[in-house]
Amino acid sequence: MDCNTCDSPTAVVINKPEVVEVDLTITNKAKEMLSSAFGDDMSHALLVGVLSGGCSGYMYDLQIVESTDQDCQEVDIDGFKVLVPNATSHLLDGIEIDYVDRLMGGGFKINNPNAESSCGCGESFG
Amino acid sequence: MGVVQLDAYVLVLRGRDCLALIDGLSTNKVEGTCTTVFTTSVAKVIDMVDVIDKGDFIALVGHGPYKNTLIEHITQRILGQDVTIGDASSSNLVYLSTEEIEVPENVTVFNSFRGWVIVAPSTMNIEVTMTIADYDEYRVENMIPLQGKEITQNIHPLACGLGDLVHESKGCYIGQEILARMRSRGRQGKQLVRVSNPVVDATTIGKTHSLAIRRMK
Repeated sequence: MDCNTCDSPTAVVINKPEVVEVDLTITNKAKEMLSSAFGDDMSHALLVGVLSGGCSGYMYDLQIVESTDQDCQEVDIDGFKVLVPNATSHLLDGIEIDYVDRLMGGGFKINNPNAESSCGCGESFG
Repeated sequence: MGVVQLDAYVLVLRGRDCLALIDGLSTNKVEGTCTTVFTTSVAKVIDMVDVIDKGDFIALVGHGPYKNTLIEHITQRILGQDVTIGDASSSNLVYLSTEEIEVPENVTVFNSFRGWVIVAPSTMNIEVTMTIADYDEYRVENMIPLQGKEITQNIHPLACGLGDLVHESKGCYIGQEILARMRSRGRQGKQLVRVSNPVVDATTIGKTHSLAIRRMK
């Protein structure tokens, strides 16, 4: 294998999934926790993304960001700015962002109607 | 022994996220050249692949008949990462040598657990010096599983002799929970064994011994 043979391999088509206008909800408990995380600065946004990998195929990726270079759609929920990357919008439409208050496995949880399965820790879905 | 030609595909991945993508989808820790196994969410093998890091691209070398399943598996999970995939199977041939041999500069050699994997331009003549029966004998002797024989898409990697390619602490990948549970509870079900002939359930038959996959006692 050299560069002469590998520079022009037949391209494998990577189908980009359809961009969906995302509808999502945040529970009151999650809003409380987001309020304390944001503080007074509501210029930041909650980025809700999906990465490939994890036990079931996809992993949630929650971040509080000032901005992102990803192509995102912005959803405003009671003053909270939520960013959802268009590349993963098909996996996130209809989600509920919740906060579970318990010693083990607590934290933000995403209830996703698109998930056929999820792993034990709840961070991964398929 | 010698050199045998494999029924193999060669995929070329380019982009800054290639290694991270492969690492997140397969059983071994992928930081560069290595062998790893792609598995489904129920830990069944999709394919065992040699990952060859060529610097400006990554080559994935796997079993020909499993190519389309693997491509579908990977492409579904490219979510905006910087990864492109090309199929270089028609312009390359893949061989396996049981010993190190000298090759021209434009031939890639990777020393894997099953021998030296050689990827050469299809225009280049690499001499095949071993029959499939000879290679099977070598595999039986060394307990080396092969795709289509021991490694199939309805078995998990621990059961077909690929336990060394299942990293114990790398973190999450597809199928990881099930494989980790099997290991921690000592319940992998079946294992690859080498047994004296005659063997009724052999996956590969050798002259005096054979390989089989049997339930652990």
